[in-house]
Amino acid sequence: MSTIIRLDIVLREAVSTPYRDLVTRPTGAAVRHRVLTVLRDTGDDDAELDFSEVGLVDFSCADEVVAKLLVATLDQGVPRLVLRGVQEHHADAIEQALSRYDLLVVAILVNAVQPRLLGAAPDDWRTAFGALDRIGRAPINPVADALDWPVSRAADALRGLTQHRCVVSYPDETFAIGAVA
Amino acid sequence: MTRVVPVPQHLDHLSVDQLAAGLGPWPPEERILVDAHATEWASPAGFVALLTLGQALAELGAPTPELALPAADGVASYWAKAGVLRDAEKLFQVHGKVPRRRVDETSDILLPLTIIRNVADVMEIVGRLTEHATQILKHELELEPSVVGGFGQSLSEACQNIVEHAGTAGWVAVHVYVYRRRLGGRKVAVIAVSDAGIGFRRSLDATQSRRFGDRWGDAQAIETALIHGVSRFRDPGRGQGFAGIKRYLARWEGKISVRSGTARVAIVPGWDDELPRMENLPWFPGSQVTIVIPGKDPAA
Repeated sequence: MSTIIRLDIVLREAVSTPYRDLVTRPTGAAVRHRVLTVLRDTGDDDAELDFSEVGLVDFSCADEVVAKLLVATLDQGVPRLVLRGVQEHHADAIEQALSRYDLLVVAILVNAVQPRLLGAAPDDWRTAFGALDRIGRAPINPVADALDWPVSRAADALRGLTQHRCVVSYPDETFAIGAVA
Repeated sequence: MTRVVPVPQHLDHLSVDQLAAGLGPWPPEERILVDAHATEWASPAGFVALLTLGQALAELGAPTPELALPAADGVASYWAKAGVLRDAEKLFQVHGKVPRRRVDETSDILLPLTIIRNVADVMEIVGRLTEHATQILKHELELEPSVVGGFGQSLSEACQNIVEHAGTAGWVAVHVYVYRRRLGGRKVAVIAVSDAGIGFRRSLDATQSRRFGDRWGDAQAIETALIHGVSRFRDPGRGQGFAGIKRYLARWEGKISVRSGTARVAIVPGWDDELPRMENLPWFPGSQVTIVIPGKDPAA
């Protein structure tokens, strides 16, 4: 299950603006607090932040809305946050903000077929993420085989992605991008 | 007694130095007359600097300064169209015929001179970057949609610096020009932001001055913020604004020039010859940021 949070609606509720741009730090902080309130009620569900109707996202607001939200949800039991409806210029700002904290998030960009990792990810993680996306839910060995990597290398990448909540790890030792993809 | 401060014939972010040189000791002991009668052209950076001077004097409680309008045909009218006179009349005793022309957002003025006092103003400014302005950026400058997005982000961050750091209000203006000499006729979009606030050095004094000792000053403070992305806030997410602007400008061969106090520091692309660091300039109040984004190179 995934809870979808439309950021354009949260923005209107948070700052009662006629505009649909996520700009300025105080605006971002107000939006984040509202999103956190929603997430507290979602229990163990995944959550999707929907940027589809958002105009601009500046760098400071990306820091407040996405980076600080990811930090805050580490302690809140939300399994995964995924971004959707993201435009390229949103992605630029979000990527820069996340890099400062060594954070990662899965994003579905507008008109993109495959999900993308935004943030500071080692190359191996991005490669493993792409392979898992192609293969679908799988244990470590098929991912290692597909990439012609030693099993330990694939395991390191998949576990890193799991720790950053970008990949779901199941009790049967399989991994998947998850339903959002 | 009145001190006459001549405005250069061409007032831009560099010739603000000449305006500053005319101010003499600060705070001024005499009433100031800002004499623009011989001014033929002013960039948005010149406009925002002029109003910053008026605002700085008002905040000092100095006698209301005077402003002699440009005498050349059409110049004062353009100042009215760009929104300068609407606000100048609140800060200066204006001499000369004030054209009663409406403030206009035409093809060369993407954002008329606009005051920034708070976060709501920044949201309004970014939101007002209208469809019309976006179309100009896309069609006249031939910028890709992602470049237009970055333009709005840079505008937002430059304006936020005032709200976050200046401690007072500021001004922004955005115009489009043709750079004939430097870019062979390519169009550029220019964002100019200025405030009469505490400046970079004072903003960073408490957290940074000890690190630099004798080297600490206006130039070092600008470099610390602009080049190294340091903010006076300890929050690790701070300093994103300049970092984002720089990344954007590096990708599109843009330029940023920051003046504060007695120094100016610029990140200069290959097509421009501004010096990257200038010190010991005549003092001018607050901080001034100029961002230049070139349109698409037709030869590329």
